[in-house]
Amino acid sequence: MEKITITLNVNNESHEVLVAPNDTLLEVLRDQLDFTGSKESCGEGVCGSCTVHMDGKPVRACLTLALEAENIEIKTVEGLANGDELSPLQQSFIDHGAVQCGFCTPGMLMSADALLNNNRQPDEATVRKAISGNICRCTGYAKIVHAVAHAHNPHQGCCDCNHKE
Amino acid sequence: MSDYNLIGKRMPRVDSRSKVTGKVRFTADLNLPGMLVGKVKRSPYAHARIVKIDTSKAKALPGVKAVVTGEDTEGVKWGVFAYTRDQQFIQMEKVRYIGDEVAGVAAVDEETALKALDLIEVEYEELPAVFDPLEAMASKGPLIHDDFPDNINVHVNIDTGSVDENFEKSHYIREDTFVAAEESYFQAEPYAVVARFDEEDCLEVWMPNGGPHMKSKPLSNAFKIPLHKVKVKKIAIGGAFGGRSEICPVDYICALLAKRTKAPVKIQFTREENTIATRQGHSMIVTHKTGVDKEGQVLARETTCYMDGGAYSSTGPIATSVPFLSMEQAYRMGSVRYNGYRIYTNKPIRGMIRVHGRAFACGVDTQLDMIADHLSIDPVEIRLKNSRQPGEYTSTKSQVSSCAMDETILKAVEKSKFKEKWGKLPAYHGIGIGTNSVQTGFPMGIRGGSQAFIKFNEDGEATVMSGVVDNGQGNDNMLVQIAAEELGLLPEDIHLVSADTETTSSDPGSYSQVSTFVGGQAVQVAAKNCKKRLFDVAAKILKVEPDTLAAKNRMIYVKDDPEKSIPIKKVVRIALLNFTSVNAQGGYWPKVDMKREWVSNPFGQMCEAFSFGTTIIEVKVDPDTGQVEVLEATAVQDVGKALNPLVLEGQFEGSIAMGGQANLTEYHDWKDGRVLNPTMLEYKLPLACDMPPKINNIIVESVDPKGPYGAKEAGMSIAMSAAQAYAAAVSNAIGVYLDSYPLTPDKILAAIKKKQEEEAKQGAKKARVN
Ligand code: FES
Ligand code: FES
Repeated sequence: MEKITITLNVNNESHEVLVAPNDTLLEVLRDQLDFTGSKESCGEGVCGSCTVHMDGKPVRACLTLALEAENIEIKTVEGLANGDELSPLQQSFIDHGAVQCGFCTPGMLMSADALLNNNRQPDEATVRKAISGNICRCTGYAKIVHAVAHAHNPHQGCCDCNHKE
Repeated sequence: MSDYNLIGKRMPRVDSRSKVTGKVRFTADLNLPGMLVGKVKRSPYAHARIVKIDTSKAKALPGVKAVVTGEDTEGVKWGVFAYTRDQQFIQMEKVRYIGDEVAGVAAVDEETALKALDLIEVEYEELPAVFDPLEAMASKGPLIHDDFPDNINVHVNIDTGSVDENFEKSHYIREDTFVAAEESYFQAEPYAVVARFDEEDCLEVWMPNGGPHMKSKPLSNAFKIPLHKVKVKKIAIGGAFGGRSEICPVDYICALLAKRTKAPVKIQFTREENTIATRQGHSMIVTHKTGVDKEGQVLARETTCYMDGGAYSSTGPIATSVPFLSMEQAYRMGSVRYNGYRIYTNKPIRGMIRVHGRAFACGVDTQLDMIADHLSIDPVEIRLKNSRQPGEYTSTKSQVSSCAMDETILKAVEKSKFKEKWGKLPAYHGIGIGTNSVQTGFPMGIRGGSQAFIKFNEDGEATVMSGVVDNGQGNDNMLVQIAAEELGLLPEDIHLVSADTETTSSDPGSYSQVSTFVGGQAVQVAAKNCKKRLFDVAAKILKVEPDTLAAKNRMIYVKDDPEKSIPIKKVVRIALLNFTSVNAQGGYWPKVDMKREWVSNPFGQMCEAFSFGTTIIEVKVDPDTGQVEVLEATAVQDVGKALNPLVLEGQFEGSIAMGGQANLTEYHDWKDGRVLNPTMLEYKLPLACDMPPKINNIIVESVDPKGPYGAKEAGMSIAMSAAQAYAAAVSNAIGVYLDSYPLTPDKILAAIKKKQEEEAKQGAKKARVN
């Protein structure tokens, strides 16, 4: 298959890449641009570990062709922090113990970040729904749900929110 | 005792920052210069003789750098025990399951490697295959392994004596059979290996592992090279749950390809390969016969268990024993006879999994509920009547020192309002209890202990070296927390070097709940030794006795006069100027009975400590769909001492998911030895929306006399008891004791229907009588 050169805008930087028409966005991000934060766990759109943002919306990079991502703002987990300063959501994941093996974490963060961009104070049910396309085998989700719900909205009575102060 | 700085505190994990930024590297994220792509050719047959393999076309394909088959190996067979060495890393004569390894390829890219696989021509002569353990035992067809008659891989027989007499004395006896299908690990990270030989001909290899030393030894055997030439490197690991504890044939194949091509090679499993060609859980058929006295105390039990082991031994003798051991630890029995059989079938290989033996454990608890029902006592009472007490010996003669089993039951009952709810909930609404116990390790011979090394750097910070691996559960943090606590440093002052066979000493691995107890304790001992050296120096400077000193916040100070202090950094520098070493080592070897052996001598001290857990689950069942909604979960475990409640709760919650929730949906479907649901699309893993909205975590601390700070293990007895509690709750909701796991809607609906029909019949009979 003939390869073509396209420009991908990832985390506010443009990259020229040579891609085959069947290359997925995930393959190009990981193999060519070394954005290995996005993970492949299922490779078929089920687990959400490859979730990135395209123009602010969470998409599954394993089901997206690199060609479809041209001229679109792509954000990966590597783009969440502002330099060394973590986003409140990232910090909340740490403080609430929402990270165990960490393999699902990048995808989880991207799904949750998209939710928080529209709704800064979601209730737990809303969070559960928003991350139901992300499979985590380690945590049982409880701490992830708290981390997302409390990211911008520290809860009284949550010892892991207090910990932040 | 809360004079600890860090122990017992909710400490966010030291490894989480690199995980939330996406910077941490897992094996598949490694990209070495000149790296080739490796792929594995697998058997399409469940059982077949290999007649011929022709690799010439594959080798001729441009871009292919190497093709290897069994002919290229040293022919060393793998097995965890000397008596279970039954697996070649690349099959030469015969394949035994769909997925068995027959060849490996390294090529410049994935497309070429996949093309090459298709060009390898393998001629097979198909053999009759068996897929059911009972059929495999009775089969007159060709054996799966010639030296294992009746396809029996392992037979564990335990008999304490007096079983028959005690059955005779029993007031009530029941015999029930329970079955469970196999479940899978579904670690988030699909298996991957990267291997290369360095300039000194050392093998460097990265892969998810449950203990790097468990990988290096078989690799050194397979290549016939010294152990120091195999460097298993540290890498982030995306979950294990028991499924990463052994060598994987592909570790060897990848290394062999690297050797042939003189280039780094990466093999990445597809999700399907991770399911079929790593490990799966055992399916099993268990019959428990239990005799009790009038009060419900168990006088005798006889258990027979048939486990489908798949094509090779794997951890067979351990796997056949642990389901029994967990339950003999949890409950006292007057006497017991156990016959556990692990049977070879032409299916993927089975290993130890987080809920190891759900038919066994759910069976014991379900039967207890049935007995309680018959005796008109409640489920709590019968458990308390039989629960393990501190100081006792298990049936196989392990002494249980710390044990707060009763407290876990009582706390769970109180928190969940079990007494108020049990028997009083509306129709199709139920509550159930499960209790379990897990061992911290088992006798492992020369690899049973762990050793750690600590070196102080001249800036007063320290490097800790330990063989303990972190599979995602937080072991790295545990080691740093312990070292910082003991040395009086802050967590950020500690640099951890771990799970690397070149630099760290051997360790039992992190698959037998032993990392804190043994590996953590080794770090504690090393840190204490190191601290002693610093105190000796500091004492001279402060002109006091060393035993009057303590360390905290980077300072060494006099306990009774904290103003009198000196920075650790300064002590380190003065020590070095005075020709005094500030490094130290330490180790911990649990005092177990080294003569205990899984098959030949299953008696004696198994490990030093046991954890105890109780889970209570409340559910609502939809009688029209068979769907189960979980309303609340209560998880209570005697962990000895909670080193870090934040991490511990995460283990409890994960256990409710993988132990409990999984018992509603997780199983494999089969057709002629082929897994029909190997991917995440068809295999139903619990999602955030499936989980109970509320999980109550309660930590019970019995402070184990041997554990580091009193700690034992975290989470495993919740995973096991959660499976039992889910079974009990659903059974309670529908009024039928379910005996087949997982508890899928079809089984629930069938049970409801059967019950309704029986009730209708009874009703009709009654009407006739009247
Ligand atoms: S890897 Fe893309 S959804 Fe699973
Ligand atoms: S933290 Fe391991 S899969 Fe989510």
